[in-house]
Amino acid sequence: MDSGLPTLYRPGDSWLHRRHPLTKLAYAASLAVAGFAAPWPAAAWFLLGALTLPLAAWARLARPLGRALLWSLAPLAAALLIIHGLFNPANHTILASWGELTLGQEGLIYALATLGRLAGALGASLLCLYTTPPGDLMTALQQRGLPAGLAYVLISTLQLLPLMRRRAQAILAAQQARGLRLEGNLLIRARALLPAVIPLVVGALLDVEERALALESRGFSRPGPRTSLQAVPDTALDRSLRWALAAGALVTLVWRWWP
Amino acid sequence: MSLANSIRKEFTTLSLVLIPVGMVLNIVVGQLASTLKLPIFLDSIGTMLVALLVGPWAGALTGFLGNLIWGLITDPVAAPFALVALVIGLVTGLLARVGFFRQWWQAGVSGVIVTLALAPVAILIRTYLFGGVTGSGADFLTAYLLQVGQDLFGAVVVTVITSNLADKVVTALLAWGLVKYLPQRFTARFPGAERVIG
Amino acid sequence: MIELEALSFTYIGGNRPALQAVSLSVAAGEFVVVLGANGAGKTSLCHALTGYIPHFYRGQLTGQARLDGRNTQSLSLAEIVEVAGQVFQNPANQISGVRLTVSEEVAFGLENLAVPAAAMPARIKAALALTGLSALADRSPYALSGGEQQRLALASVLVMQPRLLVLDEPTSMLDPQGARDILLAVAALRQTGLTVVLAEHRLELAAALASRVIVLADGRIVRDGAPQEVLADPALEDYGLIPLRYTQAARLAQARGLWPAQAPMPVTLESAAAGFRRVLRGAA
Repeated sequence: MDSGLPTLYRPGDSWLHRRHPLTKLAYAASLAVAGFAAPWPAAAWFLLGALTLPLAAWARLARPLGRALLWSLAPLAAALLIIHGLFNPANHTILASWGELTLGQEGLIYALATLGRLAGALGASLLCLYTTPPGDLMTALQQRGLPAGLAYVLISTLQLLPLMRRRAQAILAAQQARGLRLEGNLLIRARALLPAVIPLVVGALLDVEERALALESRGFSRPGPRTSLQAVPDTALDRSLRWALAAGALVTLVWRWWP
Repeated sequence: MSLANSIRKEFTTLSLVLIPVGMVLNIVVGQLASTLKLPIFLDSIGTMLVALLVGPWAGALTGFLGNLIWGLITDPVAAPFALVALVIGLVTGLLARVGFFRQWWQAGVSGVIVTLALAPVAILIRTYLFGGVTGSGADFLTAYLLQVGQDLFGAVVVTVITSNLADKVVTALLAWGLVKYLPQRFTARFPGAERVIG
Repeated sequence: MIELEALSFTYIGGNRPALQAVSLSVAAGEFVVVLGANGAGKTSLCHALTGYIPHFYRGQLTGQARLDGRNTQSLSLAEIVEVAGQVFQNPANQISGVRLTVSEEVAFGLENLAVPAAAMPARIKAALALTGLSALADRSPYALSGGEQQRLALASVLVMQPRLLVLDEPTSMLDPQGARDILLAVAALRQTGLTVVLAEHRLELAAALASRVIVLADGRIVRDGAPQEVLADPALEDYGLIPLRYTQAARLAQARGLWPAQAPMPVTLESAAAGFRRVLRGAA
């Protein structure tokens, strides 16, 4: 992969990579809906284990996906398990106790169910982003009527993030070289904030003008439809998959809220 | 001027370029605050800047999409809070529009108003979607309140207000200061700035 | 191609006019270098030519600017880009940030103009070839050097086939190699019949490329003529420009009676070398 490519996309030629971007978007959305709506607390875990992870393995992305899930959910998992396992007022069935602390089954199940819903939604959306070039996703959305301005906002944010992180690190390093301290008591740390934030914000804002001009010089503000260099192929398979995913999500919603 | 018109007027090429910058600043400055182990998040700084420079609709979009994208790529907890971020951008922009962001003390009071406006949304999401926790330091407060006998909803109300109040006031002051500090040559290009500087 | 008529402009929040009664007429195919110190109005002049003044920058405008006979105030920016393209100072700021490869980046402008997809590859290929980027077509724009990024910005504008190309100090943020490459690419455009306006503060470039040189000071045009006469003008220093070394040397030689009083001042290295050869031969 090109070292300068700041997106989540991981190039490949798997079955999943070849699916239409909207199919993968529908997958992420319907799994999130199903996970939250299903009345069965383990539903989201099941969808993650039985669909998302095998699909990821097929696309040779199981390892990065697993690592990303662990990394981003660990703090929340700890907080959920401790607070609900130990302190949930609904806890009646005691599973274990250590002195004053007791682990309750009700809270534990609640924590695991909440965690599963979040993990299921995140796993599906990450898998979608890993296998979809952002440009294709935008092209597909634009062909379905997404305004060009909104498409720009979404994509450029993804590309801007790593650039701005690099800039923040450079500013911090430069200020530290001039004696800025990042450790110490709260006052010292709070004082480090402005010398880091001001150059970052001002620098980024001052670039906005030239970047807007450059977009204008490419016809960005022209009203009307756009064309696209790359066609994003849609297949009959993709269309039926999207219908199936939408139907699945709808069924869980009805199942949950049918009187 | 109709609502649709006032919305369309905010989304010029210049503000469309500014909005992603605002979203990314939320993330990067928020991470900076946590690197420095500060007791505030500062992750609405970009939202507030866009709201002050452009207006309420651009501010709302910055907050909403920023949280949504961050939720999709890193922290799923952030995604539902997109609605909270939307309120922050909208209310900040409206306060600036009625001229309540001219003096430093107005910016501070605006931070309090923003907190009160976001609280109902944040409390509902935190309680019913996440069971009261978000994996942040504020969870300790929730845990403590539960331990001393508060019910979950009450514990979340206290947690949301206390953890947001200082943050939103400091962020509002910082955003106000930055808009004042920026060269006027630059801020003059944005429709909202004159109501902050003027 | 370009007609400016007593154009004056003051930016909103600005305390003095950035352009003052600028009148200028540029014919198709000319290669105009605009010289001036920082703050002399070069960037504002560029923006007036491409319609960013008054469409992007608000302010007080009097007089008018016409592109191909049409008043820029009555055209939209999107209409203007089909006639006039601009390259800016900072290469990184000109990457759209929404395309992943160099060729997709070049395609962005064509997509915005709704050029049919079938017509794109040939135009992209030609633009990349003109700017020497063909080998980098599949790279990420962010993986390029500053000089390459600036040539990418040039290609991205050229692909839209403008008849006027405006470059606002395109080399100011590049290393010497990157600056040389972009200027070679621009010089090659002379053959295509494109009208070029290049803002610069270094005289060497003007001497090497221009068919006409304009000097700006305080938002006014203070000199306008062939490179030979404008660049040799001793008054350039009063406008904050650094005269060419060899022109200065020749002027010094003339003051000491070494350089013939009637002979013109050299504005290129070649003519300076030839002149000094004569001086030395005379001394021998």
